[in-house]
Amino acid sequence: MRGEAAERSVGGARTPLRRAARLLLVLLALAAGGAGLGLTVGLRTDLAEFLPAGRSPASSFLLRELQDGAGTTLLLAGIEGAPPGELARLSREVAAGLRASPRFAFVGDGTTSLSEAEQAFLFRYRYLLSRETRPEVFEPAALRQRLEALLDGLRTAASPLLARYGFADPTGAFLGIARDFLGETQIETRDGAWFATGAGPPRALLVARIAGSFGLDAEAQRAAIAEFRSLFAAANPGPARLLLSGPGVFSSEAADAIRADVELISLASAALLAAFLWWRYRSVLLLGLVAVPLGAGTLAGYAAAALASGGAPHGIAFGFGMTMLGVTVDYPILLVSLRRPEEGLRQTARRIWPTLRLAAASAAIGLAAMLGSGFPGLVQLGVFAGVGLLTAAAVTRWGLPALVPPGMQVAARPLPAPLAASLRALRGRRGLAALALAAAAVGLAAQGGPAWQRDMAALSPVPAAAQALDAELRRQLGAPDVGLLFALGPGSEAEVLEAAERLAASVQPLLEAGALAALDLPSRFLPSPATQAARRTALPAPEAAQAAMQAALAGLPFRPGAFAPFLAALAESRALPPLTAAGLAEGAPTLAARLSPLLSRRDGQVWGVALAQGVTDPAALAALAGRLGDPRILLVDVKAEMAGLLADYGRATLRWALVGGVGVLGLLALGLRGLRPALRVAVPIGGALLVTLAVLTALGQQLTLFHLAALLLLGGLAIDYALFLARSAGQRRGGEDALGAVLTCAVATLLTFGLLAFCQTPVLHGIGLTVAVGVAAAFLLACALLPRPETD
Amino acid sequence: MTGSFGAARAARLGRRGLLLAPLAFPALARAEEAGLQALLRRFAALPQSRASFTEDKAIPELDLPLPSEGTLSWQAPDRLEKRTLSPIQEVLRVAGDRLLYERPDRGIRREFGLEDQPEMRALVEAIRGTLAGDPGALHRYYDIAFDALPEGAWRMVLTPLSTRVRAAVQRILLSGRGPQILAVDTEGNGGVTRMRITPLP
Repeated sequence: MRGEAAERSVGGARTPLRRAARLLLVLLALAAGGAGLGLTVGLRTDLAEFLPAGRSPASSFLLRELQDGAGTTLLLAGIEGAPPGELARLSREVAAGLRASPRFAFVGDGTTSLSEAEQAFLFRYRYLLSRETRPEVFEPAALRQRLEALLDGLRTAASPLLARYGFADPTGAFLGIARDFLGETQIETRDGAWFATGAGPPRALLVARIAGSFGLDAEAQRAAIAEFRSLFAAANPGPARLLLSGPGVFSSEAADAIRADVELISLASAALLAAFLWWRYRSVLLLGLVAVPLGAGTLAGYAAAALASGGAPHGIAFGFGMTMLGVTVDYPILLVSLRRPEEGLRQTARRIWPTLRLAAASAAIGLAAMLGSGFPGLVQLGVFAGVGLLTAAAVTRWGLPALVPPGMQVAARPLPAPLAASLRALRGRRGLAALALAAAAVGLAAQGGPAWQRDMAALSPVPAAAQALDAELRRQLGAPDVGLLFALGPGSEAEVLEAAERLAASVQPLLEAGALAALDLPSRFLPSPATQAARRTALPAPEAAQAAMQAALAGLPFRPGAFAPFLAALAESRALPPLTAAGLAEGAPTLAARLSPLLSRRDGQVWGVALAQGVTDPAALAALAGRLGDPRILLVDVKAEMAGLLADYGRATLRWALVGGVGVLGLLALGLRGLRPALRVAVPIGGALLVTLAVLTALGQQLTLFHLAALLLLGGLAIDYALFLARSAGQRRGGEDALGAVLTCAVATLLTFGLLAFCQTPVLHGIGLTVAVGVAAAFLLACALLPRPETD
Repeated sequence: MTGSFGAARAARLGRRGLLLAPLAFPALARAEEAGLQALLRRFAALPQSRASFTEDKAIPELDLPLPSEGTLSWQAPDRLEKRTLSPIQEVLRVAGDRLLYERPDRGIRREFGLEDQPEMRALVEAIRGTLAGDPGALHRYYDIAFDALPEGAWRMVLTPLSTRVRAAVQRILLSGRGPQILAVDTEGNGGVTRMRITPLP
């Protein structure tokens, strides 16, 4: 082809080259603009921020926790693939390495213990921290019992321990809090490692909390995960494997996996698309032309979304928006394919502009409706895709013709004969189309309409296998995903801790009745200042203590003065200031690490969380929360709140999509001058959506936001197909050119998006499947609803 | 003579602390070391043994000692079990670095790392190192004074090298005849625990 051009004109030979260079320059400029915007404005990436601010205090609290709660710093690990003894050794060595590293705030395994400095600190505060500090404990009779128990304990192998603590603390306050704090875990401990119970190969378990500020500090998380892995590798694991999970792993490693998935699919689809377009047009230039409106639309949409949101647009809005801008790939294809042999590209652009304009405006109207939804994510999405679409259409109309060398012979080759024949046979089969639509409607109705995804997990871009591993490790570690929790606060630290203590007192009967197995409260690790002050006043004055001790000791074989350290400690404790979270963090970091997930500071306010475990009677907890009527105690049903949030979101999207649909119909009626032609165009569009929904439902797909985004893309595509086919039906060769052009568009879209159906990631799979099914349905329906060509 | 000299030196080293501890091993007289090695070789030849014991604990805060009795069993290379039968029932089992404590009559079962239990560690390594016939293990944890006595009898004074352990246990005296330990006296926190051991077949 280059040879032909050179032969044709010697003088103008440089113009086509210059035009090609200009196209290249334009593409480079677009890429540079995109990079510039990306670097200066950037994207926000967390799902929580994309969701609405929360319809209730409970869901607002949850969304904040999801965004930067302590849960985001948790790492769960399993080690398997070796004999138990070897697994235990690996677990101990990795845990020791983790404890030595400043990147980890807390490490839980079978050897969790308090350091000597922490023990000394807690020993000092024992009477303020112990639940047992009550006046009656220091009465002679109660003391007597304790002394007898001490005597008994001194006979055992534990006697060195008791000899060390018992004479300074005969009431056992310190050993009690140490036991309370470290907890008797239900996880099986063997050889200093936690082991998963149940059938299956042995698996050692570890849990670690990444140090530093909460929230998705991606770099810190990545570094911590890398260190975890290298510690494992350094422990000579042999055949053993490390399984690592947690939000940090998801956000870094799973994201990498998804990126690799997308990159592979993108490469494959780009290669296939290029090959297909080459086959249809025999022109490399066309590939560049296709990219120009898409690039310009993306840039314009990005900039508009950034302006509208007053900052970085959301990554999810960007991703969905890009999906919808897939429509714009059609525009240059239609422009080039619909050019008549005698026309210049400029004339073609002018001729098809009314139809193109109507198609783009209708698609944009469908999206613009989302602006009214009031959901920040949807508004950004509407702005992004709407502006992008219109920009791409305008660039196709006025920009592309200037970029194509005038001598360039880009034209679609005729369709292969059998394909053309079968398409001709399909035309005008309105009965067939009606039958398909009826079947889809009945099928959908029989299945009770489309199924909505109510599980937050399905929205996560994390592969199902990784989610399953996470759930398994959580279950084995006895920390299943929390279904019910109490939000405590906001208020001062003291107010939140007091709320926790009120809750602890009132939940006690439910614990005894078995309505729940446990409630993890911040006040377990740090009593409120008021409680600590009350305990202080419960301690006897020195003379009273001395007298009580003397009475209790009567007849026991203890020597005089044996309990002098105890009496001194009582006197000292009466003057201790109550311990605060900051004091605990300084003196006992291991305990502070246990407390910190339950007590967090945000915007100068303190929030607490109480996690309910093993809930068998959620109604009883709800009734308790209602009865308390405490403004600082809020019951949060995580699953229900999330499901409600998603349902709200889905409903809003659907409602505004319907409003958009009506808008599209109105615009079509305006553009086609009449409701009847508008309806004729609208039937294949609506029909394609109906068939897609029916097929997705039959395939057992539960609809998510991602499916909705794909459906909106589909709506835009269907508008193109229906309009261009309908407008060309009365034209030369019965619109066969248009049929070929639209088929090219449809195949190009299938190659771009349809391939995503092969991805493992649920999100990408959902988009791919929706587009693949929908594009096929839209094209076939639009084709079948065309008038039958006059028989020659 | 040599016995009291050894004990005195051990006590002196104990007072001077960690600084001098590394010097203790080379300072051990050649004859003493040879005697210790010969004895430990005989212990090493016995992969397992059983014994009964009686124990008296004297605690400075108590007017009278606390007696108990039970059995001991050893299984090379590192398993040691002390089972108290009277007046209470309890089991202490050590394997490697892990310590299992059980009181069957009270349903108590706990596992610890020896690292976290300095008092236990001091005692366990002394008896285990001797029963295993492992001079390396003994030298790793203790400054050792060894006396060979007539008729195959012997006496060892072990002073923990670690200050942390020494805070809890100042001295352990082991004595026996041939490859059998017959007495273990543990001194710590101002008290002393005397264990008398009778080998079982």
